[in-house]
Amino acid sequence: MSGADGLETAVEDGCAIGLVDAARDARGLEQVRGLLKASGLGLDADVELFATARDASGRLLACLGLAGDVVKCAASAPEVRGEGVTARLMQRILDEASDRGRTHLFAFTRPGNRAILEGLGFHALAVTDDAVLLENTPFGLSSYVAGLARLRRPGRRIGGVVLNANPFTFGHRYLVERAASECDALHVFVVGEDASAFDAATRLRLVRDGIAGLDLGEQVVVHPGSRYIVSRATFPNYFLAREDARASAAAGLDLQLFRTAIAPALGITDRFVGTEPLSPVTAAYNAEMRWWLAEAPLDAPPIAVHEVARLEVDGEAVSASRVRQGLASGDLDAVARLVPGPTLAHLRSLVSPGHRR
Amino acid sequence: MRIEVDAVAGTLESSDALVRVSPAEELRIEVTSTVEAQFGAEIRRTVAEQLDRLGVTEGLISVQDKGALDFVIRARVQGAVLRGAQARPDWRKL
Amino acid sequence: MKAKKSPAERPSRSMLFVPGSNAAWLSTVQVYGADYVMFDLEDSVSVREKDTARLLVHEALKSPVWAGVPVVVRVNAINTPFFRDDLEAVVSAGVAIVRLPMVTDAQMIRHLDAELGVLEGKYGSVPGTTRILAAVESASGVVNAVAIATASPRMMGIALAAYDYAMDMHTTHDAAADESQLFFARCAILHAARVAKIHCYDVIYADVNDTEGFLREVAVIKKLGFDGKSLVNPRQIEPLHNAFAPTPEEVERAHRVVAAAVEAEKVGMGVVALDGKMIDAPIIAAAHRTIRLAQVSGVQVAGGVR
Repeated sequence: MSGADGLETAVEDGCAIGLVDAARDARGLEQVRGLLKASGLGLDADVELFATARDASGRLLACLGLAGDVVKCAASAPEVRGEGVTARLMQRILDEASDRGRTHLFAFTRPGNRAILEGLGFHALAVTDDAVLLENTPFGLSSYVAGLARLRRPGRRIGGVVLNANPFTFGHRYLVERAASECDALHVFVVGEDASAFDAATRLRLVRDGIAGLDLGEQVVVHPGSRYIVSRATFPNYFLAREDARASAAAGLDLQLFRTAIAPALGITDRFVGTEPLSPVTAAYNAEMRWWLAEAPLDAPPIAVHEVARLEVDGEAVSASRVRQGLASGDLDAVARLVPGPTLAHLRSLVSPGHRR
Repeated sequence: MRIEVDAVAGTLESSDALVRVSPAEELRIEVTSTVEAQFGAEIRRTVAEQLDRLGVTEGLISVQDKGALDFVIRARVQGAVLRGAQARPDWRKL
Repeated sequence: MKAKKSPAERPSRSMLFVPGSNAAWLSTVQVYGADYVMFDLEDSVSVREKDTARLLVHEALKSPVWAGVPVVVRVNAINTPFFRDDLEAVVSAGVAIVRLPMVTDAQMIRHLDAELGVLEGKYGSVPGTTRILAAVESASGVVNAVAIATASPRMMGIALAAYDYAMDMHTTHDAAADESQLFFARCAILHAARVAKIHCYDVIYADVNDTEGFLREVAVIKKLGFDGKSLVNPRQIEPLHNAFAPTPEEVERAHRVVAAAVEAEKVGMGVVALDGKMIDAPIIAAAHRTIRLAQVSGVQVAGGVR
């Protein structure tokens, strides 16, 4: 009965779906690495687990990884055809993610996989020549953008700044001050990932408290970060030390989202960024910013990009990494010259808990 | 019934549907289907009817249909909504 | 209360298991012509999907797709936290037959009977119409088979499940290798079924690709007297039905037996004879069973009823 065979195929299709726990299954992970390499892909260090498809002999045929809320590192052997195996791998990933309380997922993959993922319930957010970013809900970005739009400020020139602020320094404050002086209103986004020395809530608080001292009032809006702006989903290379340094593949997605979704919601016309002498990833990001925001032919108005020279103290650019170095060597007096009061108070509380106000 | 948490029911397998619900202050329904051309309107009607029966007036409801029959779509909407509302089914009203 | 049907009234050769969480199977499997389809809420449904499988099965039972098809639903065992919810989900949807797994004694059937009565009242079904199929999967279930089979007028059948039974007996179940470890259990539930006048179903044959072994087992249980077998794949339906179909010779002889009985009744004779031999009531009943089986199996006999 061919029909019965068809039924069985729909359920079984000849290969077994399993899991590779990246932290525990070294052998499985090596097989996954091999399959990814054969597809011209690297194994990202942040992938926690892979759903795998194996044939009857146990040979790895296809894999799909999960890193936080991002589905990525998809690869399959050349003989695997059709989307049946991918659908089963994705189902397994959705189940595993759901068990960990994650239902809103992103997918980061090659543009060639876009149609398959759209067939599996994903919606494209941004596309470059090398990568496509999708999310598994039709409401994610649109809800976020609708929320942002409620925070619109009146004016002709509206600025935007994105800070990691790890932690907030006089350098960041100087950038905000300069940007605000050129604009009618300024939107400041603080990166939301908890991947830095200081957690997201602390970084956000120190930015808010530090900016309050500038007395700019309603002119500046500080936004908590989101999955749609400098996150592991939109800009994985910011958080990963990738050997192949294909920083461009990922920065384009993040910048595209900023230009096509975030900026229009808030009416942002100008983006401000500090010059970057130290971090190569941030430097690459800045270099691409001009292309994606101001020049790329996208279905959204261009955004003027302004690089603001770093504030210098004691003849050296102020940076968060300089602050962290000072903190590590216990030189709080040096640090005090680099950070505003709220940041300094927080750092002091870290060094001697008894000093907490 | 009020959707309190994000929830999912169903699968992406053929003849099934994956329904995802999230809390929100408005009701938004998005349906995508592999049989959109022939059955898109019917699927939307089934989803809307089922939400109405469950008394869902707020929430983000996304339905990814893979050619599911009517009864499957109803069951998957029920499953996602009940999970999202952290509620038990009232078998008389389904 | 509806009169209890005798087991011979409808064919019951095949009972096809369908995972209650599988939308594709629940949508299509009725086309394969199994005598009974059993939606499973027990072993084939993971704990995380018990809630959604219940909803899917409830909606399937109410759907036009399954209208007029006598569906069996296997609920989770009485001592699980799922049992009561399972039962409510399927009785509220008007299920025909509930299969209760892990039955060890008649008290379990009486408990299910009472629960069904309450739920039938709650959901407006005719009291007593929901039937019970008991699955025995342990030594005590097998030993108590007669009490179980006769515990309720709702009982429509008894079935053996081999995996847990074999473990309970300190052995293993490997159908392809040997059937002897199930021999006593098969005989025990068969006797119970015949005493209670209900159906009797044999174990599943898990290796879908081993048609030869499957047919060997089917021959054994048919000879023992089973009504049919639980199946795990639609591919097993046709071979099973073929194996259960009577031969044209058997059908022809059955027709002659029935014709002789009709003739004897017409002329008011108390004794029926065919080819000079006396035929008693059990032979006539068997002939009727053979003819019905021939009809559902599509066996053609020259001059006979198709």
